[in-house]
Amino acid sequence: MTRESLLVATLVELADNLVENFDVIDVLTLLSDRCVEAVDVDAAGVMLKSPGGELQYLASSSDTMRVLELFQIQADEGPCVDCLRDGLAIVNRELVEPDERWPRFTPRARELGFQSVHCLPMRLRGQTIGALNLFRTELGFLDDEDVVVAQALADVATIAILQHQSSLAATTLNEQLNRALTSRIIIEQAKGMISESTGRNMDDAFAMLRAHSRNHNLGLTSVATSVVEGTLNAHDLDVPKTTPRH
Amino acid sequence: MATDRLVDIFSLMAQYERDGANEGSLCMVAAEITELSGAGIALSPNKVDMTSMGASDEASTRLMDLEITLREGPCNDACGGEDAVEDTDLVNSDTLRWVFYTPQAIEIGARAVFGFPVRIGAVRLGALSLYRDKRGALTYEQASSGYLMASVIGRAILAMQAGASGGSLAAELEREATFDFAIHQAAGMLAVQGSTDVGEALVLLRAHAFATDTPISTLATKVIARQTSFNKENATWLEETG
Repeated sequence: MTRESLLVATLVELADNLVENFDVIDVLTLLSDRCVEAVDVDAAGVMLKSPGGELQYLASSSDTMRVLELFQIQADEGPCVDCLRDGLAIVNRELVEPDERWPRFTPRARELGFQSVHCLPMRLRGQTIGALNLFRTELGFLDDEDVVVAQALADVATIAILQHQSSLAATTLNEQLNRALTSRIIIEQAKGMISESTGRNMDDAFAMLRAHSRNHNLGLTSVATSVVEGTLNAHDLDVPKTTPRH
Repeated sequence: MATDRLVDIFSLMAQYERDGANEGSLCMVAAEITELSGAGIALSPNKVDMTSMGASDEASTRLMDLEITLREGPCNDACGGEDAVEDTDLVNSDTLRWVFYTPQAIEIGARAVFGFPVRIGAVRLGALSLYRDKRGALTYEQASSGYLMASVIGRAILAMQAGASGGSLAAELEREATFDFAIHQAAGMLAVQGSTDVGEALVLLRAHAFATDTPISTLATKVIARQTSFNKENATWLEETG
């Protein structure tokens, strides 16, 4: 597939998912997955600013523990923090040790094999609400066209968060952000329960939540809520046909 | 990393704690940080009964009593809902949702009321209720502060249920991130291990962190790595050795 047709297919797929009552975490996970293909990076993830100004992890192309930890560190330091503070894109930042700017983030990213990092701001009417974070395992630079594509996907992520359940009356930006952040916590709680009940790891637990929500046409967060509230047994979740990448 | 507004919240909390903390101090912080007239906190662990966890002033105490008696009002709605609830002009209210509450709230002196759900993921703990003696909507900043304060209150409730002393709550909460995926995953695991719900599991996790003087994030990571687990038969923690 050419670059253009891949991008068109991605945008059509995303638009197709922005239907009524879509699940924001589900769409952002899909967006992160497609980012990896369309921009030719090895991992992608979305972080959102909480009401207190801290950054919280929302979704990524890989739900492995080690990648989650890399996002967790960015509550304190890293490209997302800098991108949010300055409202500017960070492109082709090489990860070299020692790194005085990001003394915790860079060594951990390098342990995972990442050589460079990029971060695109998610902007809304002059304020930056979050960031799209991209990682590459090989040096080799994003060119101007890559950056345009990545920024477009970051803008789609912003729209996804804002349009999330906007059919409900009187939803404000604060409410949208709060709902997205709460969704992520519910999913983590459910992952813990599923992992313990079934003996599977956290990645598989997430894949099961996603498979069940897709097969039954239910929102990801709604499935996770049912698990946490005890109305859906972890053993009754659908198991995906193919196991996710690790 | 505590951001500016969180720093403000924790320093206010610490100040009230030094003055001799009582249950109303969190409410006083909430009223100050949102720049409103008063605040109250309601606990609603079973989604049916609501109890007061304190209020910042006389009017807030009466407004909370009213909600508990009538079972209607912003706090009642927020306890079971997703988003913040508000009536920004009680006197000219065109909604009939709180037919008994609204006239009595006006009599107490409230002109606008707001309710913020206090929840940690799917765990519902209660709600933060705020009122103002003048009508008007919240600014973006005020609403952000309301959501932020509700999240701090959620963690404070867990800490108190886990046996934290009222005098050191600010210092306890300031040490940890507001979101750590490991804590929520570990709580889910512990809920299954202990045959309990995730809310109780969060309290369990926090209490053990206190008892062993371990940061809650560190303990959560050990639970996920299966180095530590909870045995419900004799309610003890098991440490994997070697």
